[in-house]
Amino acid sequence: MNTPPTSIPPENIEQDLAEAFVQLADTLVDDYDVIELLHRLSANCVRLLPVDAAGLLLSDQRGTLQVVAASTESTHLLELFQLQAQEGPCLDCFHTSAPVGVSDLREDDTWPRFAAQASEVGFRSVYALPLRLRRETIGTLNLFARQPTALPASQLRVGQALADVATIGILQERAIRRREIVAEQLEGALQSRVVIEQAKGILSERGNLNLNQAFDLMRRHARAHNQRLSELARAVTDRSVTVDGVPYSASDQPL
Amino acid sequence: VTSGRVSDAGELTQVLADIVAEGGPEASRRIGEICISLLSVDRAAITLMAGPDRQEPVWASDAVAARLDELQFGLGEGPCVQAFSERHPVLVPNLADVSDSRWPTFATEAMATPVRAVYVFPIQVGAIAVGVLDLYRDDPGMLDKDALGAALQVADAALWGLLDSRDDYSNNLRADGPDVLAGFPLRHAAVYQATGMIMVQIDSAPESALAALRAYAYAHNRPIAEVADDVVARRLRFDEETS
Repeated sequence: MNTPPTSIPPENIEQDLAEAFVQLADTLVDDYDVIELLHRLSANCVRLLPVDAAGLLLSDQRGTLQVVAASTESTHLLELFQLQAQEGPCLDCFHTSAPVGVSDLREDDTWPRFAAQASEVGFRSVYALPLRLRRETIGTLNLFARQPTALPASQLRVGQALADVATIGILQERAIRRREIVAEQLEGALQSRVVIEQAKGILSERGNLNLNQAFDLMRRHARAHNQRLSELARAVTDRSVTVDGVPYSASDQPL
Repeated sequence: VTSGRVSDAGELTQVLADIVAEGGPEASRRIGEICISLLSVDRAAITLMAGPDRQEPVWASDAVAARLDELQFGLGEGPCVQAFSERHPVLVPNLADVSDSRWPTFATEAMATPVRAVYVFPIQVGAIAVGVLDLYRDDPGMLDKDALGAALQVADAALWGLLDSRDDYSNNLRADGPDVLAGFPLRHAAVYQATGMIMVQIDSAPESALAALRAYAYAHNRPIAEVADDVVARRLRFDEETS
């Protein structure tokens, strides 16, 4: 956690909400990158809701949930999201297609392993909201707060609306009439995230950076060069691009 | 062939793990045959690909499946080519549906065979894409949810099988214990990240980096995810290891 949560005065919330949704709607009209959209969406959750971290998990359609985006790419946070593939609010939310929330994890013993790890990272409160398309649930939006936090219904609705935007973003611009397209797009989004992880590894090794810095550099480069994050990551893996700020070593020239 | 169902996901995982563990030239055939016996499909094929127009058939269940693969690569269009280029599955529950006009020539020619539905899964993990798993059914319809999950798992297993057949690092590598494969360690962020780091360390393509990671895990009898964690934490380097 590098940045403390910014609390928005109540009178500004409406305007902020409107701006966030206008920005997201703009993105959806354009040629956009799914992972970048989900990353921004996670950041919006932290800005608009009284939570300190947010992340998105998608079904890998093989029976497991996978992290695809988070408000902060810290390793501990990603591990906490990923742990929920086995136990925790996201798994329960995914299976029931219903929101799951615990305002104070110390008062709750539903998921002992998850609660222990959450507390180690400094979180007291957790929510999981389903990413739903009609009767299908494709993943979950996960929210964490450092303080015991009971989200009122109005804020849960905002969270659910952001989760719905994520669903639309993942399934992309097509009208999803057919179930097979959901399966195709979902696997495509997961593979995009895998390429980004591989590219993070390459850049961190090449530039002697930590994985978080490697991710930030890649995002910055993508924005500066008006390139999709996933395409940039793919170019990094086939060595057809030099990312700003990451030197090539003598033994590692582009092919 | 009775169209079987995958009754138990754990059972499938175990069967696939065993096949990958035994390895050898028969692995692709055995992986392909699982699709026929456990998923509700009539035909299947596995094709190695190095580009949209560079492919090599590895296994086909029968002449029709082999012909449909050949046809696509000859035409340069079809669900296999698209799945490989776009890096996501391409699922065509009804070839006769004209509204799905992505590959008109292929669809017309394919309708001359008994096949009515096609489901193609890239054999891939991120930047590593080695081929496609093609499943064919003689009547139209969508794979159900269980069959879809099973097909994705089969494609994951096929990746390990094909890495064996392609890469020098794995030539002498026959047996991963099921532990090494347990829960498909491919689905683990550190494995992806370590693959990228090893690419730079040994100056290799991602396939070779993953194969090297796997060979190390095998040689030291450790789970691949744990070795990957060491690489990411910079406790283990492959430029020192392999020289």
